[in-house]
Order: sequence, then structure tokens, then C-alpha cells
Amino acid sequence: MDAKQIAIGSSTRLPAVEKTPFYHIEKPVTENRGDHFLRAFAAVLEFTDYKALLDSYCTSSAKCNRCAVSCPVFMVSGDPRDIPCYRTNILLDIYKRYFTIGGAIKARLSNGFELTEEVIDDMLEVFYRCTACRRCTQSCPMGVDHGLVTRLGRYILSLIGIVPKALQVSVREQLEGETHNTSKVPKDALLDTLGFLSEELEDMVGVKMEFPVDKSNRDYVFFCAVSDYLMEPDTLMGNAAVLYAAGDWDKWTIGTTNYDGINYGLFYSDWHLENIVKQLLAEVTRLRGKNILIGECGHASRSAHDFVPVFGGPSAQPVVSFIEYTLRCLKEGRIKLDPNIITERVTYHDPCNIARSGWIVDQPREILKSFVPDYVEMTPKGQDNYCCGGGGGLVSIDEIHDYRMRIGGKVKAEQLEKTKADIVVAPCANCKKQLKELVEYYKLPCRVMGLHDLILRAIEIPGGKSPAERKEEAALLEM
Amino acid sequence: MSIEQWIDFAKGPLFALTSMIMVLGLLRHIVIQVYELVAGKGRRLSAAPWRKILNEGLGWAIPIKQIMKGTPFFSSVSYLFHIGVIVVPVFLADHIVLWEKTLGFSLPSLPSGWADFLTIFTVACVLVLLGFRLFGDRQRAMSRLTDYVLLLLILLPFVTGFLASHSGMNPFPWETMMLVHLLSAELLFLVIPFTKLAHIVLFVFDRLSAVHWQLRPGAGDKVADALFGKEARV
Ligand code: SF4
Repeated sequence: MDAKQIAIGSSTRLPAVEKTPFYHIEKPVTENRGDHFLRAFAAVLEFTDYKALLDSYCTSSAKCNRCAVSCPVFMVSGDPRDIPCYRTNILLDIYKRYFTIGGAIKARLSNGFELTEEVIDDMLEVFYRCTACRRCTQSCPMGVDHGLVTRLGRYILSLIGIVPKALQVSVREQLEGETHNTSKVPKDALLDTLGFLSEELEDMVGVKMEFPVDKSNRDYVFFCAVSDYLMEPDTLMGNAAVLYAAGDWDKWTIGTTNYDGINYGLFYSDWHLENIVKQLLAEVTRLRGKNILIGECGHASRSAHDFVPVFGGPSAQPVVSFIEYTLRCLKEGRIKLDPNIITERVTYHDPCNIARSGWIVDQPREILKSFVPDYVEMTPKGQDNYCCGGGGGLVSIDEIHDYRMRIGGKVKAEQLEKTKADIVVAPCANCKKQLKELVEYYKLPCRVMGLHDLILRAIEIPGGKSPAERKEEAALLEM
Repeated sequence: MSIEQWIDFAKGPLFALTSMIMVLGLLRHIVIQVYELVAGKGRRLSAAPWRKILNEGLGWAIPIKQIMKGTPFFSSVSYLFHIGVIVVPVFLADHIVLWEKTLGFSLPSLPSGWADFLTIFTVACVLVLLGFRLFGDRQRAMSRLTDYVLLLLILLPFVTGFLASHSGMNPFPWETMMLVHLLSAELLFLVIPFTKLAHIVLFVFDRLSAVHWQLRPGAGDKVADALFGKEARV
């Protein structure tokens, strides 16, 4: 790749992206959006408890601008509207002006801030230029959570009908459609896919694994991002291989009423977040499962891990991420990974939702280092990692592909290139999609894979072909 | 009233009044925040990751790592400025006398050489911060009138106090300087609870976003009910 093409610096400031429409809206409201917005804002303030935080933020935000240099979006765009604090202050200004006494008085005395149609247009765009990765929050001395404010802004916008159509259509299907999942995968198609995966696995490892469907009283009920069933067979086969090799094959199940771990509510709406979590819990309860096992996906893991206890109460089933599960099996000696299989250079991308906003940083590294001899890190990494540019639901919005490539994901692409890795492991459905697009766009000599895709190659399956044999066969197939 | 009487007035009743307003104003923020947290979050408070919040917060006490990331020069200046702006007014020998008189307790005082140095240093920091606001692209884009005014307002008591205590450098009568010093400090007291300077107490509550991610169960439903009634809302 031409290094200059993605060199970052003030000299590469790009003009702001084409303004409207930044994304498709199903039924755009055209009149009195300001009034609607204030009504929705008032309702949110009445029933939720964001008020205290807004009070604190709107009085004390110091506007020191440290956040600006930490934001991968602003780094590339150089557009002041992308400064985290600037965007946050749009919502805070509205709050101050219309929901605090001081603000109302100030507006009387001077020509203070007004919520005009332009402000709505601004919010519509900037709240969806931010990936809600929360990197800026770490750099804020005050700890202002710009990701949370972005999400709140999106929530209120969604209440007046301003939502990217891509997200809205998916959650509608998930909550009200027949399939109850975001990709509209019907039960029959799921069963077909599982049958296909089972055959593939048999060909590959020489062992028949019949996927357990709708079994009751199992230790684990499995949810992945439903798109994995369509797009990530290797990740799923890797998951299956670990469960099988660890001797847990009869301890898990996939439910057929609800098998989608995706929760876009995390990105834009409390209502959706809660109801999608409840739907997931209902399935686990129906199957009397003991744990919720979440496949490789950043936001799915975080929304279950953080919000199952919030909405399900203290008695709700514990949430386990598949990465944690695999590490435990590895540590207990229940699975073996052959360290001679992966010869490529591998690096690891931390999905923001499980690293910075979560609890998974070292676990995947421990797994990878145990069987990947040529493992390299990106800088920065872990909780300080750069977002792929597809966070906060942005990756699902096709019409902003250009923005995600040129701006949102540019820093990531450069970071990736510097590692000179052949494979980047990204255990997240969203990151994987965005990274694959980035690799193509910037023509990086790098493959994007899931963690379990790699594990699938190196895991020893009891009674099956050895990893070395499988590698030979795969090489023959490729020739 | 003679200027001496004015000075006495500013040192006595006015000082008591303005500092009381400041303290009450800041207390109000604390009370509101604590009330909203306890009343709003209730039992969910215990589910918040307090240890993480505490660790992250304490990490900012000596923020070497944080300073090195991103904007090392600006951040160091800002950090040192905060030290000066706390240490000088509180531990200055002349102020300690005032604390004794009004509040009834004493504190160890800064040696005068140190006090001078720290004062000049703090003033220099303010000027640099002002420079950043005026000439830094990003900061200018973000700044409003109050952001500049507040910096100047902080500058004023430092400069006047320094001049008042160094008669050799002071072009004005001592009394005038002293009075301006007192009044400017008291103006600052009045302004603190009502502007972003309230972050001297609110920074604690700003750091609680992890608590605020503990959303209120059922709230989404209520918001939707209030806005759309019971019909479909996806
Ligand atoms: S959350 Fe991420 S994308 Fe959004 S402003 Fe902060 S650093 Fe930038």
C-alpha cells in the first residue's frame, strides 16, 4: 500500500462528508423537529436517570480539548464538529437552555442558544460519525463519557424518528418479526446451516458433531451475532470444535426461538436494549439453561454481560463470553492447541466493547500466545486501542461505507499496516466486517479472522485428524 | 467610607458572605448529585464497578501516563496550574492569618520565596492556557466568551495579590491594589458555583458514568408510553 495514501496529519484534512442524507431514514420527520426533540428529551428526563449526569456535565465540562487528540475520527477529519467535547456540548447546551433554570434565564438576558433545525441536522450527523468507542473518555481528566452522551443523543433522536434505517429495520425484525433476529434468518435456514456446518466439520476433522438444538437444562445456551450463521462459518466451527474437544458437547445448546446475540439497543435506545435483553433471557429460561454463552462479538458480549444483570435482576443467568470459556478450557488442559500449525504473523484487534468498555483484554492474548509463535501487538492496544471505525452500529449502515473507509477507519488501517501482520484476529462480528472492508479498501496484505477461526486450525480433536494432517489436506485443496 | 474601611469591609463581612455563597453553592451541587444518585439509582448503585471507578479516578492524581498521551505540553501546564491555584491561595502566609481570624484554625504556611515563585508560575500557566485557547485551532473552536473571562478572573487576584505584597513593583497605592485583590477574589468566589469552575466538586460526579450505565429497568417503556401510547414503537 502507498504509505502516503493513509498518512495521517493535519495536512490531510478532508472536507466534511456530504451532509444529507448521512444515512437513510425510514420516514423522516420534516416539521417542528425541534419541538418534537424537546418533548422526547423531556420524557427521557422524566423516566430515566440521566439527569444527574447531565447536570454535572453541563456545569463542569471544562472544554480542555484533550479528548480531540484521542479520537480516531477527529484525527482524520480535523472537523471541529468531531471533537468529542464539542459534540457532547450540543446536547448539553440543549439541556442547559431548556431544562435548567439558569439556562432559561440566560436565554432571556442574551441571545442565547436556540434549538434550530440546523442544530437537529448537526446532531443527526455528528452522533453517527462518532463510533461510541469511548476512547476519548479515557483521556478526559473529568471522565466525561462522550460515548454515553452520543448514545443518549441518538436515543432522543430515535424517539423523533431519526434512526438509520439499517438499524431500525433490523431491530424491528428482531423484536416484532417472525424470525426474531436481525438478519431475518428463519429457523429452517438455521437448521440447514447447522447441518452444513456439521458436514463441513466432519470433512475437516473426521468426527461427526451433531449440533444440539433446543435441548433443555444445558449448562450453556449459545448466542452469536446471527450474521455469523451467514458469514462466519469458520468462527462457528471453531466454537463447536472447542466445545467438542473440551468434552462439553452435551452441555450446550442453541435455541430455535431466539438465536441472535445482536443488540443494537446498546447503540441507540434504552427501550430496545432492554427488550432485546429480555427476549434473550426468555429463551434461556424456556430452555432452562444455566449460563448464557455469547459467541465472538464485542457489542453482543457487552450488552449481555452488562445488561442482563441490570434488566434481569440478580437472579438472571450468568453471562460467559466464548473467549473466557475457551481460555478456561485451555488452562484446565481440556483442549490442546498445536503450536506448529500457525506459521503466519498474527496480530490482535481489541473490540472496544469488550476491551475498553469491558473485561476482555488479556484472555485472548493468553490463548493466542499459547499457539501462535509469531504474535505481534499493535500500538496502542488493549483498553487504549483504536476503534475499527465501525463501532456503535456504524458498520451496519451501508450508505456511509465511504465515510467509514476514508475517515472512521483510516487510523485503524494505518495501525494495521504497521504491524506487517498476515492475519488480524478480531473476535467481533462488527469489527470483522469493518476490518475486511478496510483491508480491501486500503489494499492491505492482511487477512481478517475470528479468534476461533484460528483455533479451529490448531485444535486437537479427540478421535479426529490431527491439526497437521488437516493442514496438509487444506494445502492440497488450495493447490 | 475611607479606603481602609473598604478594605476592612472586604476582609470581614464581604469575605464571609461571598465565601459562604461559594460553599453553599458547591454544597448544593453535592446534595443534588447525591440525592439524584440515591433516589434515582437506588439499589443499582451497589452493582456499579466502584473499584474501577476509584482506581481510574485516583490514576488522575499523578497523571503522568495520561499527560504523555496526546497533548503533553498543554496537559503538564494545566496540571501544574491546578497545583498552583490550590496551593497558593490556601497556604500563603498572609492568608493563613485570615483563615485564623475568620475560620478559627491555622495551617502551615508557604515560605515566602516559594510563595512568590508559585504565584509567578501560576500566572505564567494561566497565560499559556489563555494562549492555547486563543491560538489553538481546536480550543478556539470550542471556546466561548466565559472560557476566556474565567481565566482572566483567575488571573486577577494572583496578579494583584503579588503586586500588593511587593511594594517595589507596585505602581499603584497599596490600598487600591489590596482592595482590588480582595474584591476580585470575592468575585471569583461568587462565580465558582455557577460556572464550569464548579468542577472543583463536580469532577467527582463526572467520573461516575459507569454508575449511569446501570440503566433504570422499565424506563424505556415509560418513555415510549408517554410519547406514543401503547402502539408499536420499532
Ligand atoms: S467515542 Fe470514539 S469516535 Fe466517539 S468521539 Fe470518542 S474517541 Fe471519537
